[in-house]
Amino acid sequence: MTSAIVIRDLHKSFGSLEVLKGVSLDAAEGEVISIIGASGSGKSTLLRCIPLLEVPDSGEIIIGGEALRMRRRHGRPEPADSSQVNRVRGSLGFVFQSFNLWPHMTVLQNLIEAPVHVQKRSRAECVAEAEALLKKVGMAEKRDAYPAHLSGGQQQRAAIARALAMRPRALLFDEPTSSLDPELVGEVLQVIAGLAAEGRTMLIVTHEMSFAAEVSSRAIFLHAGRIEEEGPPKQVFGDPLTERCRSFVARHLNR
Amino acid sequence: MRTFFALVGFGPTGWGWQLLLATWMTLSVSAAAFAIGLVCGVAGAWAKLSHSPAARRAGDVYTTVLRGIPDLLVVYLFYFGGSQVLTSGARLFGQSGFFGFNSFMAGALAIGIVSGAYQTEAIRGAYYAIPRGEIEAARAVGMPGFLMLRRIIAPRVLRFALPAMGNVWQSALKDSALISVTGLAEILREIHIGAGSTSRPFDFYITGFILYLVLTTISGAGFRGAESWTLRSERRA
Amino acid sequence: MNELSFIADTMRQLLTGVPLTLELTLISVGVGGALAIILSVLRASFTPFAWFVRLYVFALRGTPLLLQMFLIYYGLGQFDAVQRSFLWPFLRQPYWCAILALSLNTAAYGSEIIRGGLQSVPAGSIESARVCGMSGLLLYRRVILPLALRQALPAYGSEVIAMVKSTSLASIVTLMEISGIAYAIISETYRALEVFLCAGLIYLAINFVLTRAVAGLEIWLSPHLRPATS
Repeated sequence: MTSAIVIRDLHKSFGSLEVLKGVSLDAAEGEVISIIGASGSGKSTLLRCIPLLEVPDSGEIIIGGEALRMRRRHGRPEPADSSQVNRVRGSLGFVFQSFNLWPHMTVLQNLIEAPVHVQKRSRAECVAEAEALLKKVGMAEKRDAYPAHLSGGQQQRAAIARALAMRPRALLFDEPTSSLDPELVGEVLQVIAGLAAEGRTMLIVTHEMSFAAEVSSRAIFLHAGRIEEEGPPKQVFGDPLTERCRSFVARHLNR
Repeated sequence: MRTFFALVGFGPTGWGWQLLLATWMTLSVSAAAFAIGLVCGVAGAWAKLSHSPAARRAGDVYTTVLRGIPDLLVVYLFYFGGSQVLTSGARLFGQSGFFGFNSFMAGALAIGIVSGAYQTEAIRGAYYAIPRGEIEAARAVGMPGFLMLRRIIAPRVLRFALPAMGNVWQSALKDSALISVTGLAEILREIHIGAGSTSRPFDFYITGFILYLVLTTISGAGFRGAESWTLRSERRA
Repeated sequence: MNELSFIADTMRQLLTGVPLTLELTLISVGVGGALAIILSVLRASFTPFAWFVRLYVFALRGTPLLLQMFLIYYGLGQFDAVQRSFLWPFLRQPYWCAILALSLNTAAYGSEIIRGGLQSVPAGSIESARVCGMSGLLLYRRVILPLALRQALPAYGSEVIAMVKSTSLASIVTLMEISGIAYAIISETYRALEVFLCAGLIYLAINFVLTRAVAGLEIWLSPHLRPATS
């Protein structure tokens, strides 16, 4: 079975600061992988490299068996084939920390925008599917509301539904609850847990340790741009092999 | 190219001196207009910020009307209307004949009063931009009104109004071209006369472009320098 | 001629100039607006066109509109190439020269306003669009421009008002819009004050209506900024 996402030896620097120092990852279909680590450890950068929101300096990214073609221009790497990039992005659902819904469109319009205009599916089909997804995340009555009128938790649930509307093969979550008020975190985590139970392939960068421990099939602890520890949640959260992971988890796992 | 410089240069067929004088005229009339505008602007802002509803209403009428009608009409009003007033006034004193309202005065007053409407808004906006706390602190130490105006408010208004004033000055420079309809020998008029007298009007108009661009660029740089100077006490982000 | 009937007659004459004023305004704003969008997109790109746009905006915002109009109406005729071209029947007429000058001028100011709008589009909205696979023209059409234009609307409304006032310059190249008729009446009767009041009133009325229209457009386009009704 082809892995859903394979990353080999990813390096990424911002100016003189090297943020990723050779990270490799293999996510099989149906795996739920949580990525934890301190701020600055490179976890968001790692996730953002997958749909090429950040372009890695070196390394390979293979999605659904298809390698993203890169080339060098003016000494800097860039994607070689922009239509491949757009197609691959369409097969991945990305959920941002700051939701990033389009403010000039209603919730429903946000959901059908990419399926209709990028994937060129029929509008009627997209609307029907969008309404079903909104019901699934508990946002059915808000289909005609504008993002500015919604709470953070509602916006994030709508954003998750928007990611699902593209029928992605894998979902990427970049600290989905970090911008939310504490009371609203639960409703979003509930939706994410539901998706994990469905057997979807998911990569979740998060600070919510106990949630990650419950929901993921594998956990990765990143430290200073390298994978310090990797394994089943029981190990990474319960009985870490490395000292750094042990002290990190001890500081943050307090719920 | 050689013919271009023969035309606008300082040689025997060249218009160089006339253009230089015209540039000086443009600067003078623009400066006069800006100064008149400053007086009107301060008066207008004072009116709009005052406690009296009548004054506020008067200020509103001033800015709305003068920002809503074409500057050209205001020039016509002062130039022809001014002549009208002077001629009837002279008739009262027994003088017959036509008295023209000097085109420099008419132009400067017209552009000045329009400029004043925009300066009113610039000053008013600058006043609102002053953090309330600075004024409260002055009151708390018992500073009397006029001293506070002079030492605290005016400098801060200057600092906040400077960018907008830069725009107002550039507008005054460009609007001075409208005064050419009164026959004033500023840049556009000289360029237009020169263009009409040769077979190369385009060269003249391009020269006009260059002259105005030089004036606006130097003005822009000057105002940016002044802004940096007023910002010298601010914290750099 | 008694005062009141002079004013009434002046008003009647000036009002005949309103259609031309409105025509000049609307066509220039339309053409200039479309050009402004193209210019601002080019300005934001990393092609050599960006430099051309910067030079264009610098030249047109740094010189008087009247000079630009003169350049087009009186200056272009110097070149044989222009006189022989298919554009000559248009460029020898003051009407088309005025529209060309007005359009090019408002395009320069408009492109700066839209540029401000483009810079205000939330980076997050653009990122989430890219991550869905949107790029290029689609991205501009569906996300960037709608948000940029809504943000630019108030400032653009002021530019439209400025355009109405700018059409008065067309009178200097012989077009008989409101200011042209006003000048004719003044030079015949020398009653500048009355003519000024009538013409001024008409312009203020036009600007009042336009300001309301722009405000209405802002409200209609921004349901996402109004308070929630549900």
